[in-house]
Amino acid sequence: MPGELSRAAAIVGAAEANEIGYPEIPKTSLQLHIEAIKNVSDQTGIPISAIDGIFSAGWSSQIAEHLGLHPRYIDTTSVGGCSFEMHVHHALAAIHAGIIDVALVTHGEAGWSARANHGRGTGRPRGMGDPWDPGSQFSAPYGISGAPSNYSHAMTRHNHRFGTTPEDFAHIAVVTRQWATLNPRAIMHSRETHPQGGPITVEEVQTSRLVSWPLTLLHCCLVTDYGGAVLVTKPEIARSVKTKPVWIAGAGENMSHSNMLEMGDFTATSAAASSATAYKMAGMGPEDMEMAMIYDSFTVTAGITAEMLGLAPRGEGFTLWKDGHAAPGGRLPINTNGGGLSFNHSGMYGMQLLVEAYRQLSGTAEDGGYSGLPGKQTKARSCVVNGTGGSLSTTGTLVLVSD
Amino acid sequence: MTGARGIRSVTVAYPQFADSARRGVPCVSAPFRRRQSLAYNKPIPEPDPLSRPFWDGAKAGKLMLPRCTDCNRVHWYPRWICPFCHSRNIEWFEGSGEGRIHTFAVQHRAFGGWADEVPFVTAYIDINEGDRMFTVLRGVDPSKPETIQIGARVRVEFEPASEDVHIPFWRVI
Ligand SMILES: [Zn+2]
Repeated sequence: MPGELSRAAAIVGAAEANEIGYPEIPKTSLQLHIEAIKNVSDQTGIPISAIDGIFSAGWSSQIAEHLGLHPRYIDTTSVGGCSFEMHVHHALAAIHAGIIDVALVTHGEAGWSARANHGRGTGRPRGMGDPWDPGSQFSAPYGISGAPSNYSHAMTRHNHRFGTTPEDFAHIAVVTRQWATLNPRAIMHSRETHPQGGPITVEEVQTSRLVSWPLTLLHCCLVTDYGGAVLVTKPEIARSVKTKPVWIAGAGENMSHSNMLEMGDFTATSAAASSATAYKMAGMGPEDMEMAMIYDSFTVTAGITAEMLGLAPRGEGFTLWKDGHAAPGGRLPINTNGGGLSFNHSGMYGMQLLVEAYRQLSGTAEDGGYSGLPGKQTKARSCVVNGTGGSLSTTGTLVLVSD
Repeated sequence: MTGARGIRSVTVAYPQFADSARRGVPCVSAPFRRRQSLAYNKPIPEPDPLSRPFWDGAKAGKLMLPRCTDCNRVHWYPRWICPFCHSRNIEWFEGSGEGRIHTFAVQHRAFGGWADEVPFVTAYIDINEGDRMFTVLRGVDPSKPETIQIGARVRVEFEPASEDVHIPFWRVI
């Protein structure tokens, strides 16, 4: 008997870049990608704008941005030469699941031209360190240095558009620190765990060292080490193991840009789209969420994302913290581990979000050892989890529920 | 937008790679180049086949922009394909060199040559032709961010960073 996914999708076109082999005029990897994509679109008559899933060995956000697409499925599996067969496998699953209709699997690799180009334009993963990457040419020359120097521009625009202030966002840091004081694994748990640990005030946030105005140091996340893992399995197994299941009720992803140059609205992210997908899948809405785990690389990230997730009206995300709703004992606990701001942030914080969401929904957040102290456990049975990547670029949203 | 006035259309066939492939430099200019690199100690962009017309324009004091000849929309950064209608018919033309501040920040921490310049103001500029560029903003006081106005008018200027590369910066007017 064929499996359930058998013939659930088909390859309907295949094309190559205009010149391949040893092009007379050396090419870049990006150029080879785009030529092939345009050609396969022409061949099939499927417009590029119909593509809703992108699969490539590390290039997906750049390709999507270059094409001006906001795909609902983004796969950058890069495990060597077999990656593309895996992309087809993943696309099959995504199409079968009804997540996407048209998957683009794309490859561009200037293996030969790299010599003539002295290694430039070859597209190391995500263009990092490639002097021909758009960011290298049009952002890096202007003294931009890491996430804080980018995200600060979003806070300025939010302040301008909605009449908010940096002090409003400082409340996010203050409340998140309250949660950290309940988590002994949090860097900023107390004076014992860090010289600047323990409770903080809005004034202390605002008078801490300026990093990138309007962001002071305490508006910014930590930089730490971290390791985490989760297991996902089918219901039959989930009900038979000794731990409690936390069900994936909904999931969605999207992106608005790769480089902040392409961020259309500096006060919004693709979490509006990714959460809409996740809520729809779950048959639930923001009003059904009893807690939230929101990537807080900066206070402004959390405040804007709360708006995108529908947890607060536009321009008012910060009020969840300022009015105490997100705090211990509040009606909508947010970032109960102490967040990237005060618990732990290793550079890519999405795993920390998952681990804490599992602990809260499985009722194990107060267990001894690593998980926390009495008072940390919320009563939540539903949680919206939202990760943000890049420069407010990409988002993945999950709606998780317990029995 | 307002930028259509007075724009000269210059269509450039690309890839414009031939120039950038020539790396040989007469030895007589070497000392000059060394002085240049000492004078400009911040990251110097490397033109690529796609962006070469922009950097050639910058060297001549012109803000060259890519525009799709099918949908007529201007995009930034340079693309191999129009991000709006997916046409590959793209021309370069000289833009107005004017725009407005979309948003900004004051950098108090930076690396390399920029570390000597802190604090300095960075900004995203809505160019009159309809897309957005990033810059270090000139003509403003980094110690008084409250005096910098989103929406303020700005004009581009170019600073020679090397013999080949002149970098655009925007100044409040
Ligand atoms: Zn177009």
